[in-house]
Amino acid sequence: MAARRSALSALASAAVLAAPLALAGCTAGSTAIVAGGPSTLAVGFTAEPQNFDFTTTDGAAIPQALLYNVYETLVKIDSDGEITGGLAESWDVSDDRTVYDFHLRDDATFSNGEPFTASDVEFSVERVKQDWTISLQSGMDVVDRVEVVGEYHARVVLSRPSNSWLRAMTTRIGAMFDPSGVADLANDPVGTGPYDVESRRRGDAVVLTRNPEYSRPGSPRPEPDYRTVVLKYYADATALNNALLSGGIDVISGVTAPDSVPQFEADNRFRVLQGTTNGEVVLAYNNRRAPLDDVRVRKALTYAVDRKALLEAAWGGRGELIGSMVPPTDPWFEDLSGEYPYDPDRARRLLREAGHESLRLNLRIANLPYAVSSAQVVAAHLKKVGVTVDIEPLDFPAVWLQQVFTDGDYDMSIVQHVEPQDITTFGDPEFYWGYDSERVQRLLTEADTAPPREYIADMRRVARTLSDDAAANWLFLFPNIVVAKNEVRGLQANQVSESFDLTGLRRQEPS
Amino acid sequence: MRGNLVVGGALVGVVVVTALVSLLWTPLDPQAVDASVRLLGPTSQHLLGTDKFGRDVLSQLMVGAQTTLYVGIVAVGLAAVAGVPLGVLAAMGPRWLGELVLRTSDLVLAFPALLLAIMLAAVYGASTLTAMIAIGVATVPAFARVARAGTLQVLSREYTLAARAGGRSRWWIAWRHVLPNVSGMVVVQSSVSFAMAVLAEAALSFLGFGTAPPTPSWGRMLQESQELLAVDARLALVPGLAIAAVVLGFNLLGDGLRDRFDPHLEARR
Repeated sequence: MAARRSALSALASAAVLAAPLALAGCTAGSTAIVAGGPSTLAVGFTAEPQNFDFTTTDGAAIPQALLYNVYETLVKIDSDGEITGGLAESWDVSDDRTVYDFHLRDDATFSNGEPFTASDVEFSVERVKQDWTISLQSGMDVVDRVEVVGEYHARVVLSRPSNSWLRAMTTRIGAMFDPSGVADLANDPVGTGPYDVESRRRGDAVVLTRNPEYSRPGSPRPEPDYRTVVLKYYADATALNNALLSGGIDVISGVTAPDSVPQFEADNRFRVLQGTTNGEVVLAYNNRRAPLDDVRVRKALTYAVDRKALLEAAWGGRGELIGSMVPPTDPWFEDLSGEYPYDPDRARRLLREAGHESLRLNLRIANLPYAVSSAQVVAAHLKKVGVTVDIEPLDFPAVWLQQVFTDGDYDMSIVQHVEPQDITTFGDPEFYWGYDSERVQRLLTEADTAPPREYIADMRRVARTLSDDAAANWLFLFPNIVVAKNEVRGLQANQVSESFDLTGLRRQEPS
Repeated sequence: MRGNLVVGGALVGVVVVTALVSLLWTPLDPQAVDASVRLLGPTSQHLLGTDKFGRDVLSQLMVGAQTTLYVGIVAVGLAAVAGVPLGVLAAMGPRWLGELVLRTSDLVLAFPALLLAIMLAAVYGASTLTAMIAIGVATVPAFARVARAGTLQVLSREYTLAARAGGRSRWWIAWRHVLPNVSGMVVVQSSVSFAMAVLAEAALSFLGFGTAPPTPSWGRMLQESQELLAVDARLALVPGLAIAAVVLGFNLLGDGLRDRFDPHLEARR
């Protein structure tokens, strides 16, 4: 059930990310003018955090603002998907891969002045297991106990080997807290990161200022270039674009109106960075329901959609074709986008074989821009092979979650799955895919406890099996498009972590 | 004042003819997606260019006229069929019934029509049907009020009093005298309500609560072009002008018809 729960949270995060777009144009959004100055940076977002407590509140907006910036983790994930040191300078793994020894840095201090030590690791990990209520909390289930070996040496013992645990420690569940700093998490976060929350104007902005404890004289940790970072929230994509054009903000954290990007590319005041995310836009087939329980029908539908043209038409050609439930930053990525080349004749043949000269299917989609756009292309392409598609946009998240996700009452659907490593959802036959493959379930279970090399190989096999079974149609990988004023440097093109990482940002004077 | 009637009639006529033609013929398939010709400006092949899916804007605009008229006719028809008898009943029936109808219509009028439509769409799914029903329900009070006012006028006329004195039943009077005499006002109200229904449908589709894709709708054409405003304003301009023309047309037509039907205005001039 763990897979199911975590995937639900993925959708919930997607909801937070994308829900405001549904009402694009209704509200003007953020209005206050940011007091500029070279040491202040203003970054625009579309989803605002409800509060600052990601231990009990789901959604992507809180870790996006706080993780790595306010809260730090033992290990981080870099923009290529590699795990690197954070509060732990190094770590050793025992031969049986159940004991992790973390060697902590000795110069980290919480914003309330308390030093960061191994007992904080024990406290934080235990707290995830006991007090956290969000679904991601289950990622810590595999931990048996934490031992404080020395002041800066923490040992985590797992109940079984797990390949996914260390990676999970780079997400919000790996955030390090101070026992005296958790009294009011929703309003007053206390972390070791370079920034501290100064103020919050609901519906408008969150202001972060430099954490004076972060960098002491002589410390190898450099002070952040920007003393103040204002996170500004806009209700819709157009308002966000206009804010950058009019100088109200310096950076757009993620453009969600891809056809508006050329106006920034043509303007030499701005730089556009395009990279990958973990968000697979999936055309889901209801594997449980006739006629989609027939692999020939699923393959036919997959051959019938020209994904390259779809990406071009629906999302301005921005994004990547993937072919399975794996973003390119996962270590087991393999390009399977060529597996089902566009071939309407073959699709028609397969449909005829399966006994469906003509077919009528519903397409119950999330009422969000990427889904509505993609659905229209899917419907147009399937029409050419004799499949009539009834597009039904459902209010997201509430109605979609109930009808499609919970009740499984749909033929096809389109939604973006944003959670890292959500390929594991295919191992849960109860998940809304309705995909019940004994082989995939076995491979996934084996993979998590297998030695690292076999882990990669097993996961590749899972991805390939999913593609062979046409378990779903992976339309494209959602792009991460960051637009910034020229002088802002150090931005990451790929959005791999849950954080909008401010730590490497610096200002470069135009020469 | 004949100008209103002529201009309004002409604008509405153009839309009706466009919708009828599009039933049989459009320059290209309005739903045909072709990424290789996306976002083209006007060419000989695509007189109004193409949208981000490479669909022909002119063909979409033509079929969108169907959607617009369809929603308007059904919503206004629904409102008239329910509203007019209610209004007549409120004027001719027992006093408590009249009060009930009036107060209920106040209630419905106080409730924003768009909100009602969004609620219905959230519960029953976004579709042209839910949009039409919601707009129709929200328009019922307008017709009920017009019909009630008209009925009260007719009831005070000599011929009605004579009929009553002659022992005719209420229903006979309603059928023979009231309905024919209020019909003019109902036609005027229909024209004005039609304009509002067109706007409401466009707003709902813009918000994603109206006509489901891929059926072309002017409101959705507007919405899809919103993010492209800075890139190609033509895409927003075309459906925007179409909506404006229809709304203006029906309003002018309503004004013109009122001048014709309302004897008081005639006398004053």
